[in-house]
Amino acid sequence: MDARVTTGGPDGHTVRGYDGDLLYLRMQVLELGGYAIEQVTRAVEALVEGRDSLARAVLARHEKVRSGHAAIEDYVVGLLARRAPVASDLRSILAIARIATDLERVGNAARKITRITLDLRRDAPDARLGPFYRDVRRIAGHATAMLRDALDCFDRGDVAGAEAVVERDAEIDAEFRLALRDLVTHVVEDARHLPVTIHTVFVIKALERVGDHARNVAAAVPRLHRR
Amino acid sequence: MATTSENVRSNLPPRASVSAAADQSQPGEQLDTKTVGQVTVANPVMTARKVNVHYGDKHAIKDVSIDIASNAVIAFIGPSGCGKSTFLRCLNRMNDTIDSARVTGHIALEGQDIYDKRQDVVQLRARVGMVFQKPNPFPKSIFENIAYGPRIHGLAANRADLDEIVQTSLQKAGLWEEVKDRLDHPGTSLSGGQQQRLCIARAIAVDPEVILMDEPCSALDPIATARIEDLIDELRQSYSIVIVTHNMQQAARVSQRTAYFHLGDLIEVGATDVIFTNPRHKLTEDYITGRFG
Repeated sequence: MDARVTTGGPDGHTVRGYDGDLLYLRMQVLELGGYAIEQVTRAVEALVEGRDSLARAVLARHEKVRSGHAAIEDYVVGLLARRAPVASDLRSILAIARIATDLERVGNAARKITRITLDLRRDAPDARLGPFYRDVRRIAGHATAMLRDALDCFDRGDVAGAEAVVERDAEIDAEFRLALRDLVTHVVEDARHLPVTIHTVFVIKALERVGDHARNVAAAVPRLHRR
Repeated sequence: MATTSENVRSNLPPRASVSAAADQSQPGEQLDTKTVGQVTVANPVMTARKVNVHYGDKHAIKDVSIDIASNAVIAFIGPSGCGKSTFLRCLNRMNDTIDSARVTGHIALEGQDIYDKRQDVVQLRARVGMVFQKPNPFPKSIFENIAYGPRIHGLAANRADLDEIVQTSLQKAGLWEEVKDRLDHPGTSLSGGQQQRLCIARAIAVDPEVILMDEPCSALDPIATARIEDLIDELRQSYSIVIVTHNMQQAARVSQRTAYFHLGDLIEVGATDVIFTNPRHKLTEDYITGRFG
């Protein structure tokens, strides 16, 4: 038995259009996930490399995440009305809707990082936070990799893999606490670092939240399973 | 008209076999059943144990055990030919009228074996009423459709009693306001939905404990269907209702428990919101999600 909801084939719905609807929903969610990851990656790039134009491009592209999420919500409402799903179908559709919401929140985190970047560029264009940008890059790398893996498990219906992804959230939380401690030390050394440090704290907090959303996506995968 | 038990016995199909010694329902009893879920309930009005039905060579119902709870609606669902209507018809011995049908096992109403030789079948069918797929009013007036049952069962001492039973029954069936000024019109002059409510009023008039409904809405439009469903919800305050339906959303809307039949087996029975969100058996899941091959 194929574990995923939208398979067609021998385990599919008698009404094959229903399988097509569910497949389309999954594709939309994966596409939204792709945008969200790209937005975070580019937002961090704009921050670390101080590229205003890239930051503005990220803000402009946020609309794509927002409208993608809205389209998924509309589609789910339509599916509920047209197909009146029950049992595993109903649980899967609601789980997919929650995944879409987590992905939109990831997009919001990218927008937040970008706004901080633009504020920093305006208020402290010469700020040097070299070592902390390494922390930012590392946490961002882990959080986006975790989200990519969670979406991959969602796509493949890989429950064991998804459970392993959930575990990785603790690592990101630990990295966040470590980076926070370093930032505090940095401020203690020289109070003039305070404004830049505060901005950086917001950035790493946003990235830590991306890890939480990746965990939520991975945690939803077992619920997509037909038993 | 009085029906003697002598008459009833002679009406029994010759091959009807009854096992009165079958296990009685006990709270917390251990049932020998393959059915998944909640077969027994705390407050059963009817209990069926190891019921088997054969039509000639065909084994239509296989070892079905289930409780019908008081003041609740239970829906029987399953694909065509799964045995849900056959089992429904066991509950008031409608299968007695089919010569080739052989029913074994034990079915009790309020603890009394309904297949007992001393059971008056006409009396049983008053206590366990039935509403069919197609409304089937008698070719008589609206009043007479309702009054017939109470009259033959001697439930009304005089005309005033009878008038009251007719009015109350029509009120309970939500039909009184629509027909009170034309009780002498033929029952067949009503719309389909009204005719079905007339049939429900007719079943109510003899003060049953259980009402069996076999696809009661399949011939009705969505508005008439909604009125019947609303009525079913009201009626369960006073009666126990068993409904066979092909419309799974209807089962989900009107029932508190749902039983899924498949090829004569009772696969799963449980609380309706569990069956429709988290069924335990794969066959149930496949059927309700529309994956039944």
